[in-house]
Amino acid sequence: MKTKVVLNFSPEASNQPITHNLIAKHHLVVNILRAEIDEFGGKMVLELSGKAEDIRKGIDYLKANSVGVRPIKEGVRRDDDVCTHCGMCVSICPTKALTLDVKTGKVTFTEEKCVACGVCIDACPPRAMEILI
Amino acid sequence: MAAEEFKQYVKANGIAKAAKEVDVVTTGTFGAMCSSGAYFNFGHSDPPIKMQKVWLDGIPAYTGLAAVDAYIGATELDESNNMLHGGAHVIEDLVRGKAIRLRATAYGTDCYPRKEIDTFVSLKTVNQSVLFNTRNCYQNYACATNSSARTLYTYMGKLLPEFGNATYCSAGELSPLLNDPYYRTIGIGTRIFLGGGQGFVIWEGTQFNPGVPRTPAGVPKRPAGSLAVIGDLKQMSSDFLRGLTFTKYGTSLGLGIGVPIPILDEEMAKACAITNDQISTAVFDYSEASRSRSVLREVTYSELRSGEITIKNKQVATSSLSSLWKARQIAETLKNQIVKGEFMIEKPIQNFSLDRVFKPLDVRSEKEAM
Repeated sequence: MKTKVVLNFSPEASNQPITHNLIAKHHLVVNILRAEIDEFGGKMVLELSGKAEDIRKGIDYLKANSVGVRPIKEGVRRDDDVCTHCGMCVSICPTKALTLDVKTGKVTFTEEKCVACGVCIDACPPRAMEILI
Repeated sequence: MAAEEFKQYVKANGIAKAAKEVDVVTTGTFGAMCSSGAYFNFGHSDPPIKMQKVWLDGIPAYTGLAAVDAYIGATELDESNNMLHGGAHVIEDLVRGKAIRLRATAYGTDCYPRKEIDTFVSLKTVNQSVLFNTRNCYQNYACATNSSARTLYTYMGKLLPEFGNATYCSAGELSPLLNDPYYRTIGIGTRIFLGGGQGFVIWEGTQFNPGVPRTPAGVPKRPAGSLAVIGDLKQMSSDFLRGLTFTKYGTSLGLGIGVPIPILDEEMAKACAITNDQISTAVFDYSEASRSRSVLREVTYSELRSGEITIKNKQVATSSLSSLWKARQIAETLKNQIVKGEFMIEKPIQNFSLDRVFKPLDVRSEKEAM
């Protein structure tokens, strides 16, 4: 099972080896999609893979250690009314979730491939891409 | 026929038949066109004001003209340099039918005693609202990449470090001036599709540079010609006119332009038959801080469109900044308008000079400048 979560770190939690414990003690595969943390706390976007039971325990562990946990239902969203299908996002998307279909001339957004890394957000000239955190 | 349709037709039927059968080929492009802006006449207040400073939704407009005329540039920003909302966004908002806050100050004269005004305007309230662009519709453009260790934010978009990507911004075989490489049918007075309405070519675009290297067929291999254009903002639509933000660079206007090309003879048919594999441009390293960057390689538009090119033995993903989808929409719309008799084709009143050169700006003495 895979799930994406947004973690809110308190200053205390930011000094703990939280990610290490998720991997070592809860047997989860952790993919860090985004991280902005300093000694005053911060945010992290993770993709957690593992058994459903381990993910549940991992999330309980986070909550018990003053880390706010919010599941992401939708990471990056495209506003189709705003997108002009120029294709600027295509070459910077690391997972090829955004591709140009030369047949239709349109940029295709495959949400399943998106890891919500956010590199497309500030690259989009008409600002059609939004990250929901 | 729309440009892509015509190219297919030539492939199947040959130049001679195409020249005989087809009257007009419609081209189109939609991309960031920075040298754009709009002027307005707001009408006179009571008591009247000779505006000295003007802001439209906080964005300064140039008003060193008569009392209530002002020009707002697409790349103009407010005092805080907020790049999410510049002159181009104000123009888009007006086209969308929104009301814009107009603030003006003045020193006051005997004939224009008022010293300030704070009100709202829209395309319904102003007298003239005219898109007036000094350089649009570039005939070919560079391909940009970045060899440095950090991400560059440029007018060519986000360039990832160590040749992480490459961007280009011409519509290639759909682009108006690439289908008329020597400007035989496109000149002063040419009626064009502009931002969803009808406009005109009014002059050569600034930096017009026809003398760049060309292919044997005459197609420029570097940025060459460009167009200065004009049109009524009231006819335009946000489908073809958009405020754009290039992070850490600024704002620009995303604009759709379409030009009909009459197939005068076989030579013209041949020019319009050009396809992406016969159009090339140069790849430049934008980490080189120079006005004359060295060419990394030449590349065709079919290679660029394939999504990947090789630069220094590395496979590099490519991005277009010019919307293929919208370029096709424009070419198709223009074709339909011509067929229905809604769009009349004009012969240029005057053709562009092929002798123009593109001069640099050097720091020079008064004597050297004379």
